[in-house]
Amino acid sequence: MFNFDWLSGVSQETAKMIFLGLYALIGFLVLLIPTEYVYEGIAKEDRYWWNNLKLWSIAVLTILGSIYYNF
Amino acid sequence: MLAGIDYFIVIAYIVGMLLLGLYFKKFVNNSEDYFLGGKSLPFWAIGMSIVVSDIGALDFVGVSGQAYRYGISVGNFDWVGSVPAMLLAAFIFIPYFWRGGMYTIPEYLGRRYNQKVRTIASVTWILFFALDLGVLFWASAVLLNVLMGWPIWISILSTAGVVGLYTYFGGITAVIMTDVVQMVIMFIGGFALVFLSLYEVGGWDNLVEKVGTMGPEYRSHFDIIQPSDTTSPFPWTGILFGLTFVMANAYMIGNQAIVQRCLTAKNEWHAKASMIFGSALKMFIPILVLFPGLMAVVVHPGLEDGDQALPMMIKSILPPGLIGLMFAAFFAGLMSSVDSLLNSTATLFTKDIYEPFIKKGADDKHYLKVGQITTLVLLLIGVATSPISSDFPGIYVAIQTFMSYFQGPIFAILLLGIFWKRTTEWGGLSALVIGIGFAIYLNVFKEQFFTIEDPFLYISWWSFLLGFIINIVVSLLTKKHSEEQLKGLVFSSKILVKNKKL
Repeated sequence: MFNFDWLSGVSQETAKMIFLGLYALIGFLVLLIPTEYVYEGIAKEDRYWWNNLKLWSIAVLTILGSIYYNF
Repeated sequence: MLAGIDYFIVIAYIVGMLLLGLYFKKFVNNSEDYFLGGKSLPFWAIGMSIVVSDIGALDFVGVSGQAYRYGISVGNFDWVGSVPAMLLAAFIFIPYFWRGGMYTIPEYLGRRYNQKVRTIASVTWILFFALDLGVLFWASAVLLNVLMGWPIWISILSTAGVVGLYTYFGGITAVIMTDVVQMVIMFIGGFALVFLSLYEVGGWDNLVEKVGTMGPEYRSHFDIIQPSDTTSPFPWTGILFGLTFVMANAYMIGNQAIVQRCLTAKNEWHAKASMIFGSALKMFIPILVLFPGLMAVVVHPGLEDGDQALPMMIKSILPPGLIGLMFAAFFAGLMSSVDSLLNSTATLFTKDIYEPFIKKGADDKHYLKVGQITTLVLLLIGVATSPISSDFPGIYVAIQTFMSYFQGPIFAILLLGIFWKRTTEWGGLSALVIGIGFAIYLNVFKEQFFTIEDPFLYISWWSFLLGFIINIVVSLLTKKHSEEQLKGLVFSSKILVKNKKL
């Protein structure tokens, strides 16, 4: 049990899909965060799309996913 | 051996760092300036500092050595082992800590649970940081010894002297701003080595082909996902359960050296952005620290000690001038890690141990002085304990072993503390004590329980799970906290829709 023997039948390809699925799930959850919340701390008149931390997060997750997809 | 130009670059770098660090002395007027930089720093500096603090001698030497032995799967630590946890920290945990005006993570645990939990967590981190310092010093000394033939103790003492001075006077502002320069130098030096090494092995495709023909033990060197029955320390089950779900979160959310940087942000957006920006930079780290180890498989096959891979690559690949730059990059990694540990430990000791237990209600200048003196004392402890590292075969694994003792239980109480109102002080305390004890037990008898070479990922997962269950069970059996006690300490959807009130 301590060695996760019960998962020994899962192939490496399936395991890779689990990781990619995890990144997709995190991205989905990030998109659910209210936009107002991610701008908190910036005055309303200074809020631009490049300050949107949801976009930053999605970009990072996309690069991460592409690394795992290719290796 | 280094050429004259290399010595010039290294010495110019060290002197430059010392002067830059000391410049920030004038911004330190009280303890908040020393420990939190007066809450005035921008996201880009904090993000760069988070990344560079996390990669030091340990990663340059240790990860290259792991990559030499096990291949690209060691990159999981900076990819899946950082990004998801940093996003969770950015959007959920950091805003709570920043808005609460906290100095330390144990301070949150003290408010959420009780003083005992705060003290245990703080003392544990202080002990870990002290051991970590010794590992860092030893790693630097080994590399300096291989590259330049410097005596080990001269290397350790010279590093300690420079870092100790600017950390003592400049506090966390000096630490973060020197980290910015250190990260730039580290990236320039690191990428120079990667590109020249890649040229030496005939390009990426050639590297993959050559490594693949070197024997059965190298066939999975380019598989980031390793099977669950691998004998390497990085099976995918360990990476998912131990690293992604526990250790990464514990490190990014519960590690004082990381979180304290975000608490120096000038506003909440900068605090969140610093973590996300840091996660973007983090993805480049494996290229710097892992690829040279991979390429050493072709350039220097058959090394008995994988930790020699990076020093050998530097000596054989880089021309004069670039050796000095790479050496400065290595120093940058080392110094940024050491200064972080010094300042964070000083903060933990002053805020969680000295202020509540030794001298309450003293004036602010007194606590500032205590923080500075603690910095010096810790430096001496780190130097004195550094030879311990020589007893461990892999430097990087050694530090993970220390961490696995308490990462799981600490994350269990942080997670339940912030997401579940019913968690009580006795639940948190028992989870922490029993969880740490269980982790130590598993580590001592690991041959009986585990089949992989070094099961620190599994140990962190199982100790987390036990801590999580014990916290729930004991909490349900003990008196719950009042709404007033929990105000501003437990997650509420209000933080997402009504930002001002928690």
